[in-house]
This record gives sequence, C-alpha cells and structure tokens, in this order.
Amino acid sequence: MERIDGYAPIREYALIGDGRTAALIARDGSVDWLCLPNLDSPSVFARMLDAEGGGSFRLEPTIAFQAERRYLEGSNVLETTFATAEGRVRVTDAMTLTESRRLSPMRELVRKVEALAGTVALRWALEPRFGYGRAETRIEHRSGRWFAHAGADALVLGVSAADKGDLHRGAITGELALAPGESAVFSLSAATGEPAVIPGREDAEQRLESTTRFWREWSGRLHYEGAWPEAVTRSALALKLLTFAPSGAIVAAPTTSLPEWIGGGRNWDYRFTWLRDASFTLNGLLRLGYHDEAHAFFWWLMHATRLTQPRLDVLYRLDGSEDTRERLLPELTGYRDSRPVRIGNGARDQVQLDVYGAVMEAIWLYGRAVGRLDGDTGREVGRIADYVTKHWRDKDNGIWEVRDERTHYIQSKGLCWVALDRACALGEIGLIPNRSERWRAEADELKAWVYEHGWDEELQSLVRAPDLREVDASLLLLAVFGYESERIDATIAAVERDLREGPYVYRYRGGDGLAGEEGAFLACSFWLANAYARTGRLDDANALMDELVGLANDVGLYSEEIHPRTGEFLGNFPQALTHLALINAAVRIADVEAERKERAA
Amino acid sequence: MTVSLWGALVGGVIGTIVLTSGLRVAQELGVTRMDIPLLLGTIFTDERDRASAIGYVIHFVNGLLFALAYYGVFRAVGHAGWLFGAVLGVVHAFLAGGILLTALLPVVHPRMGTPWTDAAETPLLEAPGFLLANYGRRTLIWTLVGHVVYGAIVGGFAAGLT
Repeated sequence: MERIDGYAPIREYALIGDGRTAALIARDGSVDWLCLPNLDSPSVFARMLDAEGGGSFRLEPTIAFQAERRYLEGSNVLETTFATAEGRVRVTDAMTLTESRRLSPMRELVRKVEALAGTVALRWALEPRFGYGRAETRIEHRSGRWFAHAGADALVLGVSAADKGDLHRGAITGELALAPGESAVFSLSAATGEPAVIPGREDAEQRLESTTRFWREWSGRLHYEGAWPEAVTRSALALKLLTFAPSGAIVAAPTTSLPEWIGGGRNWDYRFTWLRDASFTLNGLLRLGYHDEAHAFFWWLMHATRLTQPRLDVLYRLDGSEDTRERLLPELTGYRDSRPVRIGNGARDQVQLDVYGAVMEAIWLYGRAVGRLDGDTGREVGRIADYVTKHWRDKDNGIWEVRDERTHYIQSKGLCWVALDRACALGEIGLIPNRSERWRAEADELKAWVYEHGWDEELQSLVRAPDLREVDASLLLLAVFGYESERIDATIAAVERDLREGPYVYRYRGGDGLAGEEGAFLACSFWLANAYARTGRLDDANALMDELVGLANDVGLYSEEIHPRTGEFLGNFPQALTHLALINAAVRIADVEAERKERAA
Repeated sequence: MTVSLWGALVGGVIGTIVLTSGLRVAQELGVTRMDIPLLLGTIFTDERDRASAIGYVIHFVNGLLFALAYYGVFRAVGHAGWLFGAVLGVVHAFLAGGILLTALLPVVHPRMGTPWTDAAETPLLEAPGFLLANYGRRTLIWTLVGHVVYGAIVGGFAAGLT
C-alpha cells in the first residue's frame, strides 16, 4: 500500500469498534481515525483528515513489508500479517467489550503482536491529538504507563515490551523485536470524565479473547439462505459496529468529511442517524434474525422523534440531544487537501418528505413482525400519517439533500404514497387508529399527481421533479418499496440507460446547487439489483449483485461512492446505507427465488 | 408555627398531578421527550402501556414520599409555606434531574443504556444524559419549574391545612 502525501487510500482501511466508538486502521498498521468516547465525539486520531497533525497510533515493521489482513472469521477483530525479508509478524487489533463483572476500561483498543517466523523489528508511535487536534495535550510517564490528558479526556498506554518508548515532540515512539513464539500487547485505555482504568496485559488479552467470542456468537445467529452469505455477514457485522449501543441508533458512517471527490468540497459529517435508513435497517435486522436489535432500533426511532412528531427531522444525534449545527474545522487540512472539514450537519434544517415513507415502512415491518403496537405509539403513527396528508404537496429538498431551492421531488412524493399506503395497512389490521378511508383517498390523489407531473413521455421515465426533467436513481426506491405503477419498469430501464455504467449507478446527472464532481453512488447500484428482483428480472439482479460484491475492499467493506474508472473509494467510510442496501437486495433476491421455487413445486 | 402532615400529603398528591401533567403538556408541545412514568415503569416491563400505568403509580408513591421528606424539613426548621416549599423544590429538581435520573436511573434500569453499554447489549431506552439534555435541551427548565411548583403546593398545603 502506498500513501499519497501521507494519506492511505480509503479502500485500504478496515473498521474495528465496540458499539460505542470505532477506529479505522490502514493496511500499514496505522490507526488513523478514532473518536472518544463515542462515535460522534471529537477525534483523538484524525490522520485521515490531516496527515501531519491529526494524530495516529502506528505500528509497522522497520523495513519494507507486504501486509495481508482479514477479519477473524465471523468477527470484528482484525488480523494483519506483515511479511518482511526477515520474517513474518501478526498484529491483532480490536476494541474490547466491557467485562461487566470486573473493572475494565471505559474504552479500550488492544493491539497484540505475535512473531510467526524470523525476527521482525517493529516501530510504534502513539500521537494523541484530542479535540480534532485542537486541544492542548499533556503526556507523561508514570507507574510504568504513558498518560495523555486533555481536559476531561485521558488515554493510558500499557506496553508489554522491553522498550517502553520515548516522548519526542508530542509522540511516544518505541521499537520492539520479537522472536518466533514471542508476543507483545499494547493496550490503549480511554476515559472521559472519570478516572482511567489502568490496563494490564493479562486482562487485555482476556478481553480480546472474550470480544472475539462475542462477535462469533453474534454473527453465528445470522439467518440468510442466499448466494452471498459472506458479504451479507460482513455487512451485518459492519452495521453492528455502526450501531451506537447506548441508544440503539445507527450512525450513517463513523467518519466526517471524507470527500465525495478528491480535492472537492462535498465533505460532510455522517456521524448521525438518518431516518431515511430506518426501513432498510429494520428490514435488514428482522430478516437476518436480529430481533433484539430491531426492537431496540424501533424504540430509539419512536423515542428520538417525539420532540418533533408528527413532523420528522432528517437526522438525529445518536444520544437524542439536539445540537447538529454545522461548523468548519479550518485547522485540519482535509483528506488529500479536500476542504473544508465539517462537523455537524446542516441537513437537519432541510425538509425531506421521503423520510415519512421510510419511517412508515419501518413501522409497518416492525408492527407486522411483532403483531402489536402500544396505544401511545399507535396514536403517534396515526398523527404522522395525518401530517403526510397535509404536507405531501409541499416542496422539499429531496433524498439527496439538495442545497438549492426546494422543489417537488417525485421520489419524495412516491415515498409519501408509501407512507399513506402503510398507514392504511396498519389501520386495517388494527395496529393504529384506522383512518384508512381518508388516507387511501389522499394516496390516490397523490398518485394521480405523480402521473400528471412526474412522467416524461420523451424520456419514458418518471423524472427527478416536474422542473428537473431528468432521470434520478432514487426513483428505484419506488420499485423497492412496491409503489404500484406500470411506469416503474420503464423508469428502471431509463436509469439503466442514463445513469448506469457497468455496475456503477450515478445519482443523477444534473445540478444540485453545489460545485464539483462526485463518484457513482454504491447504494444506487444495490437498489437497482433490488428493483430488478422486485420486478421479476432475477437474472439481471443476480448478475449485478455478483459484480457489486466484487467491488468491496479486501475486508468486505464499502464506502459511500466509488470512482467509476479507478475503483477508488470516495466519501465517508464504511457507509451504513451501502451495507444496508446490500443486505436488502440480497434478502429480496433470496425471497423472490424462494417464491419461484415454491410456485414451481 | 404548626406544620400539617395531612396538608403535606394532600399537597404531595396535588403537586404530583400538576408536575406530571406539566411534563405531559411539555411532551405534547414538543419541548421534551422526558416521560417519567415510562422511565419508571419500564424498569418492570417492556410493554409501553403497562409500563406507563406502573410508572404513574410509582411516581405518585414517590410524590407522597417526597412530601413526607418536605414535611420533615418543615418540622425541623419549624416553618412551612409556599415560598419555602418552592425553594425546596429547586433542591428537589436538582436531586431528581441531576442525580436520580441522570446518574442513578441508568445504572439500576435494566432497559436503559449507559455510557458503558457496548455491542453485547441492546438497551431499549436512551439515557437522559447530563442535566437531562438528551431528552431535549429545555427538559431541565421544565423539570425545574415542575418541581418548584410541586414544592410550593406542598409547602402551601402543609402551612395552610393546620
């Protein structure tokens, strides 16, 4: 792997985490991204966004090496093997889970080094840079450990190697050489607002083992009978890392400001939960057999939205608090000079009517699976449906969060129809107050409006908006959600014609009020596969899925976008929406195949 | 000055009704997601309807117990009144919002997340967070006002029903 100006390609990263925060590790053994104590907290390692001053925890051979890596089977524990001319050494990285019966670190990153062959010399360097590199950090060595502090945050590094390291210009550096059979453990314990728990080698190794056991047990519960079990399992494990366990919310990605085009300004903070992902999340969790997680996500969904109901916001913070203000971090240079670096997300203030469809579909999926909704929830859901009847005629910013003038996005209208359709279904089976006659009448009127204003005879497709006469890949979601229309097949064909290049699908070709280019949007490709299956084109669905599964990086992860010519990953990484789209497409194809077999039998 | 036990208890009942109703109104107005009956009831069940019912009973019992505590303070200092009760309400609000709900409840609540909850667990309720901010940034103000009103009612009745 070669770094460009100190930056590793986004494709070269793997994710580890503990359900509260997550770290990205490059193939060369450098932990380049970690926020503490939570996914949406300020970073302590942000080398991805500033190669010089962002902070990192490096561990690599002192001479030239080749690196191979994998996740230990069925786990989120990463194993990197460095091969050099002098031998081979293995590094196992994980963020450990808390042991409930013993005092264990608030957060802990464990790096275990084992010599496999020959004697390999390694160097390591810990450069903590709290508060996105802006906080003044004090580092000292006491009681045999390194302590780094900034305000209420602290890191404690335990090193079980002869060389305990030296402090030099804000970095703790050291070397170690292990003969075959020897091992060393680095344990980085973090605390915020409480005394740090000092890690010991034995305890850290035990936690590493129990963490590996947990992940294997968890992934062993996954139920999927289809053609891509490895990709589905890896996606589920990635989603579990993106789930903020204290609340059940799922972050869109664990990073901020990885660019949608190298050097461009489309750099956003994705460390929030988008309601748009709700239906994919619940469908994925329920279909794969993760009912506890589905239950927790549904509770989060209904509780988090209570402040604004019946209106729904676009995105929510993981802990439910309200501050999502967008700010710039001029101190950070940005990934390969892609500025600005943003924290917070201004999309919160947008109007996106499609979220109502996604949320009502999620409630329908959950209600159907569980068989009941409590009275308060049922009334809240009914009020949301009523709100849709009053507001579907409004202009909005659309699913792509266009920072331009609002307009009548057809995909938003289609998803409003989905919202009303699911409300009718929920009302008719008695899970919510039944006002289905009114909701159905409004849904019919909505659909007639879409026919009148959203269809383009020349393009033979539904269009982005009545004033934006072009094809939009988000319209594939109408097929995915079962929007009943004879014009859906034609729209799928138009997306293939205008937006598809090989396995890649662009969101749209026209403007969006922002300067700069962007890559192909990976979720759209999976939506296309899903839409193929939904409309009976199983061969096309299977062929596209085979191609898409091959686009993942070496450990099975996907970013938001991909450069169609170079295959370079773009945008925040790894992206929950892409992995959710993969899971949903895979289970849809498996369902359609099973239905066909059943019919044939 | 005579302080009435029965007055304090009647004040506790009325004060709890006012406090609970006030927070319910704040929920409906979209000011807060704080739902004390739900938080208390879900200690015992994950069925929302039953949880709310159980939670209301617990909250009323708590309201009476706190009224007794107020009565103890009134007796100790030999004075009761709506203003003194309101001052105690401020202390009560910070005890409830700053310690009981923020620090203690997440630790003892089997269905609530804590800052230490990890991937091995799937809690159903988010924690209130520092000064209850996770439930809406104005939650603390409403909690404070609610408890001040509660305290004033308890103090007023304890002084008045003699």
